[in-house]
Amino acid sequence: MNTLNQQIDPIEHGTLGQAASGDEDPVRTHTGRLKEFFGRRFSNSAVLFGVIPIGTSLGRWISKIIALPQLRKLATGEVPWSPLRKPVSESTVVLLSTGGVHLRSDRPFNLNSDPTFRVIPKDALQTDLAISHQAYDKTDALRDINLVFPIERLRELEVERVIGRLAEEHYGFGLMGSAKHLMPAIKEVARRIRKSGADLALLVPA
Amino acid sequence: MGLLAREIEAQGVTTVGLALVKEVAIAANAPRFLYLHWPFGHALGEPGNIAQQRTVLHDMLSMAAHAPRPGLVIELPYRWRRETYPAVQDWTTPSQAVVSGLSL
Repeated sequence: MNTLNQQIDPIEHGTLGQAASGDEDPVRTHTGRLKEFFGRRFSNSAVLFGVIPIGTSLGRWISKIIALPQLRKLATGEVPWSPLRKPVSESTVVLLSTGGVHLRSDRPFNLNSDPTFRVIPKDALQTDLAISHQAYDKTDALRDINLVFPIERLRELEVERVIGRLAEEHYGFGLMGSAKHLMPAIKEVARRIRKSGADLALLVPA
Repeated sequence: MGLLAREIEAQGVTTVGLALVKEVAIAANAPRFLYLHWPFGHALGEPGNIAQQRTVLHDMLSMAAHAPRPGLVIELPYRWRRETYPAVQDWTTPSQAVVSGLSL
């Protein structure tokens, strides 16, 4: 398998896989069968008896083990506080996702560790988008990108004048175990958001 | 993601984050978090359930406008796949889920 095939699984383009992904859907950067299996096991959307999520407790446990010691070190001191200065209906809103979302035409995230970010324009369609992230079950998000990157819903709210305006640029992050190594990208995105004049940032996890 | 929220807020921009792991949301010391006990990859809910997704966005916008102090993590009351989501009637009224979360 060459590098390109490893990056984007042709099955996910909808040539074969109607169940997981049609032509309208975002593409999945292929993580390998074993990792997809574990992704489904550990952060699953499948349910027992129709109600109890399977595997989420293990997934939660893993993310606690990874995140908590780092947060205790890095998320210290006073909580920053910048309350909204105008009504939501006059605010410019920017969207950020850590679900590995990026433009299909952009460089995919490294699947298990990537300290960079991607810019996603406000008018990006589902077909323009891809997901590169190996630590959660992407089946549903590939069917409906709004689960991890609700850009379509926000465009509707802009038209309905619920929000003032949608920012021109939105931001995607991939999987990154080391928060320390992600800090330069975090700081750059925070600066870009301030410079863009946005009033409100909405953050959505994987 | 909590660190991202902290840095953006420190730049003067209001932030609201969704969280799927309660302990991580609390430890993040971020300005405003809404916690949902839903599976990973589903922060906005189920695929194609637009009413559900709009409900969560209404909660986020309500939190942005009405959270009275930094560091609040509010648990949203929605059970996974066991709720019906009526259309949001009035977007200028704060969501009941956030209002009752704030009054706890």
